[in-house]
Amino acid sequence: MRSLLLAVLAAYLNAAIHSILAFVNKRRSLQRVAEWSMAAGFILHTTALIADWVIDGHYPLFFLRETLSFLAWAMVAAYALVLYRYQAQALGAFTMPLVSVITFVALVIRTSTQGTPAGFSTTWLFPIHTTLLIFAYAAFFVVFMASVMYLLQERELKLKTFSAIFHRLPSLSTVNELATTAAALGLTLLTVGIATGMVWSSARDGRIWHNDPKEIFAVLTWLLYFLLIVYRSTAGWRGRRAAWLGVVGFALVLCTFVGTRFLGGYHVFG
Amino acid sequence: MSILLIGVNHKTAPVEVRELLAFSDEACAAGLRRLVDGEIVQEGLIVSTCNRVEILSATNSDQLQQTTKRVTDFLNTERNLPTGFLQSHLYTHTDDQAVRHLFRVASSLDSMVVGEPQVLGQVRRSYSVAVEAGTAGRILNRLVHHTFRVAKRVRTETGIAGNAVSISYMAVELGKKIFDSLKDRTVLLIGAGEMAELSARHLVNAGVSKVLIANRTAESAQRMAQAFAGEAVPFEQLAERLADADVVICSTNATNYVVTEAMMHRSRERRRNRPTCIIDISVPRNVDPDVSKEPNVFVFDVDDLESVISSNIREREREAERAELIVQSEVMQFHQSLRVMDIGPNIGAFKEKLHDLARAELERHRKRLGPLNAEQEAAIEALLVSTVNKISHPVLDQMKRTQEIGDTETVQALRDIFGLEE
Repeated sequence: MRSLLLAVLAAYLNAAIHSILAFVNKRRSLQRVAEWSMAAGFILHTTALIADWVIDGHYPLFFLRETLSFLAWAMVAAYALVLYRYQAQALGAFTMPLVSVITFVALVIRTSTQGTPAGFSTTWLFPIHTTLLIFAYAAFFVVFMASVMYLLQERELKLKTFSAIFHRLPSLSTVNELATTAAALGLTLLTVGIATGMVWSSARDGRIWHNDPKEIFAVLTWLLYFLLIVYRSTAGWRGRRAAWLGVVGFALVLCTFVGTRFLGGYHVFG
Repeated sequence: MSILLIGVNHKTAPVEVRELLAFSDEACAAGLRRLVDGEIVQEGLIVSTCNRVEILSATNSDQLQQTTKRVTDFLNTERNLPTGFLQSHLYTHTDDQAVRHLFRVASSLDSMVVGEPQVLGQVRRSYSVAVEAGTAGRILNRLVHHTFRVAKRVRTETGIAGNAVSISYMAVELGKKIFDSLKDRTVLLIGAGEMAELSARHLVNAGVSKVLIANRTAESAQRMAQAFAGEAVPFEQLAERLADADVVICSTNATNYVVTEAMMHRSRERRRNRPTCIIDISVPRNVDPDVSKEPNVFVFDVDDLESVISSNIREREREAERAELIVQSEVMQFHQSLRVMDIGPNIGAFKEKLHDLARAELERHRKRLGPLNAEQEAAIEALLVSTVNKISHPVLDQMKRTQEIGDTETVQALRDIFGLEE
């Protein structure tokens, strides 16, 4: 399936280049190219994932290579939703390059494929657990991007000096709403994702908690986003402070996703 | 066919000269009828705005000089100016240069404030005056429609009209940056000055649904409230009503701070941190600069606005460079389309000539054919038409192609071969 993923990468790269050009030049025609290219990449990517599933015989979200590919796919899906709902094209200029890099890494990385995932495929809970969490990561990425856009613009509005980038970003209220919605969605996904993981784990080894780094970070992440949502809805916590939480939260997400791979523990995979 | 543009604008003539030359719509129509004689000046159009008076005309290529003289004389006699008075102010552009100039004018690249939207409407009106006066013919029709296309392209493909360049419009731009849409937002005017009124007008046009006016003299507040179907707020209640406003425009003559940090702090709490955009156009300032320290409150004073405006103007100028490229390529396209159009009469004349020949031959041999029934008649007719078309098609094709690459000699040669009159 490498050739198919190569085509996916080509489409994403093209989308990334055109997104950046559209961002810089504010040209609608370039943006259209970027969007069509992304759509083509997404369809090919979906096909590649399904093909992997059929050929390899397990849900394509187990080895690191698969996880990265799946993550890129989920990020494209998240960006497409943002585009559809908020017309925040500026996000593409940052998302698509990152998606391209992740896809590239997924393409070239060589991970040991020992440790057959057979044991994990016996129940549907495990794939659901991982899929939900991947989508939660994508949602938190959107929160992060929206928060950064918020902070950049808020700073320039306060300093009253507008840079070229200022005119190219969506309005404060748009990025604020985007961050709130994405955080709520991400938190829901994270909650259900963690819950399914616990159920699966208790069915497998009779315990729901292993005290491993990934679990601890996941809970910390959950708490932070929970706080963010609660504060926003009750105390009218909005603007800069909420945006900073969105940024800090993403650092935790990165720790959960990447960091724990090096710390070992129960969650050794993906 | 040649296109000629003669005129003055804000760069070549001071306002005293421009107002001397300005034409009202009625004067335009009457003047055009006098100017366009169908012999020297074949088509004409006058664009007259406060920044420019320009006469656009179409004429035969070999009569360019007479046309230039006629148009200049026309301006002098219409306005009773001594000969030579306009000499140093007038510019004359011909053909591609004239086309380029018109494209630039309509795209607002030649305006005092680059990207201002009014000029296109003014060109549009000038054109409809010319159409009504009957002085816009096939050349100008084509040119003006092409001009509208170019202006639209420039507007959509570049950002020359992108960012606000006037203080009164900054409120809209900043409001949109903060609130995305101004629909159903509330604006509070503190002080009922002219500038505040203009800003409020822009905001209402952009969708603001509620206008509150607080003014020391209640009468002016009432008057303005009526104008905007808004609400006059007693000045003493300012502190309480501040929380209702998303956008605040402050422009009083007060010498102290009308909006203090304490007031804004309370307002922010009552607004539960929803953002507020404050525009303070009064000098001395009416809004305590410390208000800016409140989170989610954005304050802009006159200096801030001026500096944003000058950066916006620079941004527009950068975009204008891109617009020039569009104009350049459109001038070339128009040039091509004009060439192809030039050949139009040739094509007609050529086809007609061949058909005449065919018809004449048929008449000549009619008797020898004897009586024909309707079917046979039709068959012969069809035979002739298709023969003529078969012969003329490659020739016309060649003509069009040579014309497109500007090879007028070949076109002339083809005309000579078939004995076509000019």
